[in-house]
Amino acid sequence: MQTYIFDKTNDTDIAFYQIRERLITLLRSRFTTYGYKQIQTPTFEPYDLYTTVNGTIKLDEMIKVIDNSGKVLVMRPDVTIPITQQIASKYKHLSKEIRYFYVTDVFRQTPDESNNKERTQAGIEYFGNNSPEADAEVLSLAVHLLKDLHLTNFTLEIGHAGFTKELISELALSDQDLKQFKQLIQAKNTNGIKLFLADLSIDPKLRYAIENIPLLYGEADDVIKRAKEIAYNDSMVNKLQNLEEVCTVIQAYGCKQHIVIDLGLINHMDYYSDIIFQGFTENVGKPILMGGRYDKLATQFNASIPAIGFACDIEALLDSTKNHTKSYQPPIDVDIYYETDEQEYGLTIANELREQNYRVLTFPIPEANKHESAQCTLYLTRNNSTLYQQNKSWSFTDIEKLNQILQEVKERI
Amino acid sequence: MECITLALAKGRTAKGAIAILKRAGFHFADFHEKSRKLVFYDTKKQIKLIFVKAVDVPTYVDKGAADIGIAGKDNIMEAQVDLYELLDLKLGKCKFAVAGLPDQKIDHTTVLTVASKYPNVAEHYFEQKGITVDTIKLNGSVELAPLIGMADVIVDIVETGNTINENGLTIIEDMEPISTRLIVNKASFATKTKEIQQIIKKLESVLE
Repeated sequence: MQTYIFDKTNDTDIAFYQIRERLITLLRSRFTTYGYKQIQTPTFEPYDLYTTVNGTIKLDEMIKVIDNSGKVLVMRPDVTIPITQQIASKYKHLSKEIRYFYVTDVFRQTPDESNNKERTQAGIEYFGNNSPEADAEVLSLAVHLLKDLHLTNFTLEIGHAGFTKELISELALSDQDLKQFKQLIQAKNTNGIKLFLADLSIDPKLRYAIENIPLLYGEADDVIKRAKEIAYNDSMVNKLQNLEEVCTVIQAYGCKQHIVIDLGLINHMDYYSDIIFQGFTENVGKPILMGGRYDKLATQFNASIPAIGFACDIEALLDSTKNHTKSYQPPIDVDIYYETDEQEYGLTIANELREQNYRVLTFPIPEANKHESAQCTLYLTRNNSTLYQQNKSWSFTDIEKLNQILQEVKERI
Repeated sequence: MECITLALAKGRTAKGAIAILKRAGFHFADFHEKSRKLVFYDTKKQIKLIFVKAVDVPTYVDKGAADIGIAGKDNIMEAQVDLYELLDLKLGKCKFAVAGLPDQKIDHTTVLTVASKYPNVAEHYFEQKGITVDTIKLNGSVELAPLIGMADVIVDIVETGNTINENGLTIIEDMEPISTRLIVNKASFATKTKEIQQIIKKLESVLE
């Protein structure tokens, strides 16, 4: 028989799945406490939606399918774009705030070796407010989430897509050079940047500013102060001002110790227009959370709606919590073994206990040895009804008495 | 202070890198060239040094198994990973080059077959030039490929050019200078900033 290799996300390990579900529940309830409501986007979306939006997902990375009319569809490669498109189609301008969250699978075929085509993302999108307070609230929600996971050492790096883009655009590079140059910035490769700029005849002030981008990393006050010294024009100063305001509110949230500024941060998603951020924790090489403000995305759908959002990668979060998640404690469970004559009695008890959220399995007595033992075992014979738990046993006469005993047992476990 | 894990490429640049680390104040007392040990601590226990195969250094750092790494630019480029590249240690200087038989031309008219130990680097280079190529991954004796007609050209690292010349090939194009670099995992940089910046500062001061 042929053996099949599955994507790693198809994990049938029960303990792992329980941990994963608990993590998702945790995220869901945290999103809710910040006023977000859950939504879902379609699994199949028109391919055209993604070909018309600039600078987002690589077309090669999307998984395409063809429906019976010959139309090309893609399997949800992103969540932000369809939500923005939907909101933009309903409102040209938004007069109220909208807060959505989602927990959903996204499908992409990336060239990395893991070859995982399906990943679960949990994230939020916050439309209709572009104040520094909104930015800071979203960032503090991100910090709050990571605290919920009991991560001890984590950092949120905040950059400003607008600031960095504007500085680089002063160089007026060709698309190909720009791609290469962005890579140098992302790698904080100061030598490479110097070499790259050496061939260009540019204003020495600009050269100095750009060579300094990789060094703009660290505590907010210090970095913003240094960035202001190299700011090239008023618009860049304004952007730093905005960043400063956001940082002030973050401080009021009490999240300052988890925040660093990294003005060399570049997100491959081109739609980010202002602050961008990513979260890192020890021992996971990749960002566990990514997001930013994308005020310009709606303009691609002929609307003007400010928005900010982020998403966590559930698999990466699971990696990060792997070491400190305690093994899952299931609710107390009960096995009921009954003699054939006591079947009705046994099944009635089973239903009664299930109503009270006990986990119950039932077996006729000859089957007794097939199951690994539960926390509590009931033996129902014609003369006797007994509950066993570890080395102790209790006889009982009716369901009410049984309930009492189980309550006591529960308190001891 | 937390201990930082450093992945160091085994082989020709290891000795030089250890010497630079020593000058920067990180002394690995029990290291000597013939040792078969793979893990070393410096005397102040600030750095845990692990010896890995040169091509694997970027992988260790990318996965976060090592916080920082010291490896050749050739291997970093080939690995195509998203890392910080913070220092040039200026060891093991050489270059990437395209080589082939003396009459070999590189143009848009035909599909070029390229043999290389670095297929990603080769593909990326020719893609930027807008030339379609077929790449063949080889693990050694790359110079042989054009001689026996398996490939039109090779992409390889060249130090003196002797191996190329002795096999009757010439360098057609220089691609990119190579030397040993210090790379850093982005998550480690974010969560162990102080420790890593301190190491970099010390290294920087002895490199100038």
